[in-house]
Amino acid sequence: MFLNTLFVMSALLTVVSAVLVLTTKNIMHSCVFLLGSLIGIAGLYATLGADFVAATQVMVYVGGVVILMLFAVMLTGGKDFVSKAQNLMGLAPTMGNAWTYGVSALVGLVFLFTNIQLLTRLGTMSKLKNDGAFESTVNKIGHLLVKDHILSFEISSVLLLGALVGAAIIARPRKQ
Amino acid sequence: MNQTVVSFLAQYEFFDFLTKIFGENSLLLTTLIFLIFSVAFVAVAATIGGLGTYAERKISADIQMRMGPNRVGPYGLLQFLADGVKMMMKEDIMPRTADKFLFYLAPLLCLLGVFATLAVLPVSSGFTLTDLNVGVFYLIAISSLVGLGVFLGGYASNSKWSMLGGMRGASQIISYEIPVTLSVLAITLLSGSMSFGKITDLQAGFITNWFVFHNPFAFLAFIVYFVGAMAETNRAPFDLPEAESELVSGYHTEYTGMRFGFFALAEYIEVFVVSAVAAALFLGGYNLPFHISIDFLPIQFVQLSILVGKALMLYYVVIWARWTFPRLRVDHLMSVCWKYLTPIAIFNLVGCAVWMVAFNGQSLAQLIFGH
Repeated sequence: MFLNTLFVMSALLTVVSAVLVLTTKNIMHSCVFLLGSLIGIAGLYATLGADFVAATQVMVYVGGVVILMLFAVMLTGGKDFVSKAQNLMGLAPTMGNAWTYGVSALVGLVFLFTNIQLLTRLGTMSKLKNDGAFESTVNKIGHLLVKDHILSFEISSVLLLGALVGAAIIARPRKQ
Repeated sequence: MNQTVVSFLAQYEFFDFLTKIFGENSLLLTTLIFLIFSVAFVAVAATIGGLGTYAERKISADIQMRMGPNRVGPYGLLQFLADGVKMMMKEDIMPRTADKFLFYLAPLLCLLGVFATLAVLPVSSGFTLTDLNVGVFYLIAISSLVGLGVFLGGYASNSKWSMLGGMRGASQIISYEIPVTLSVLAITLLSGSMSFGKITDLQAGFITNWFVFHNPFAFLAFIVYFVGAMAETNRAPFDLPEAESELVSGYHTEYTGMRFGFFALAEYIEVFVVSAVAAALFLGGYNLPFHISIDFLPIQFVQLSILVGKALMLYYVVIWARWTFPRLRVDHLMSVCWKYLTPIAIFNLVGCAVWMVAFNGQSLAQLIFGH
């Protein structure tokens, strides 16, 4: 019951912030609302028993991505970036061709049917056992990462190292 | 399963009486207990933060051979209350060109980030609000909200001093998170757990069981953690975001009254939190130096005072450092982090891993004195 309440609160935070991200005109404010949405998602993970994923969500998005986004927005114009081009309805027809509209319609249909599937199962899903006694996922994730998925783990770390070195090379002052 | 303060209280007899009133697994009862403990934690933390400002002034006065505040209350102890009242009475000024929404939000984000860390702070074996399995990770993650608050405060003020301070603050906090996290990771490696409760329990017993004395690498990790934490909380000699000789007052230049008070309070509470975390991770946490049954309720208060005592000693060191060392330069600050602390932290991490393999997880004291 306690977890259900927290789940509903996190879901509300996620949805309301997501709507505010879209409706607000100021791009800095959008970033801050996005922060609320991401924290809400972390709350959803936590109330569903995925404690490690929740903490990682906060770590990566709140501590890294949102701050980087704010930096990027600030260095490229900040609040002067209040865009007149956010008149989406007027601009939308000129922004794509038949191919892009076809793909997005397909994606929209898939999304719609997935949601219908989920919503029709709502009655059965709420009967899941949910007494707050979740098992910890940290140990399992750790074991899986360094045993079964060691190759993908190493490949992603090499990718990140490449990104780091690339960023250092781009930021390096050029010799004349 | 996560141990919380509710599941701790549930083992006592008076809890049966409460469940009779509220019913089994009652939402109201759980919420109520969490609410009472959260409010108590926040109130105590805010008082410690307030007393921190008093301690800062008194200790600095001692170091500089002055008297310090001594008029309000005995030994000037109530000075922080007078300051608080003064701040609340002040006019709440906002610059006309400021970003109103972010200007109001920034100090609250700072406070939120600090108060959210109190949820996993291991004050005693039972009174910890919740002993998460990922407690250490959660604490590092959620405290980055403070950096965001500093940055937004600097940005929203729309003044060049604030902007510079906010940018310095954000880059400094992000940079110093890396050596701090790597040092904490070394302790996670030694203990095999990210839960504060388990890490503390492993250090039970005599002083040689503390992780800081586990091996030489852990000792270095403690120093790296402490320096990094000092930089992360924007304390001198790393207080460049609010360097008053160059940036007026940095990111909170434009803030007045209690909004400035929120920033200051967040800083002082965060210093206490990182000191308490250092005490829990490296200095044995709430453990008594001898074994005792923890079922007896007053023992919890003894444990509480042990942890707070250790944290306050580290707090003293932080203040002492502030009034002893001159401030770093910006480029020095970054090179200290990236060229010294981070490589040392990585070296410690690898060293701890090698130690665990080479000596089968035994500590230095165990190797010297046997068991």
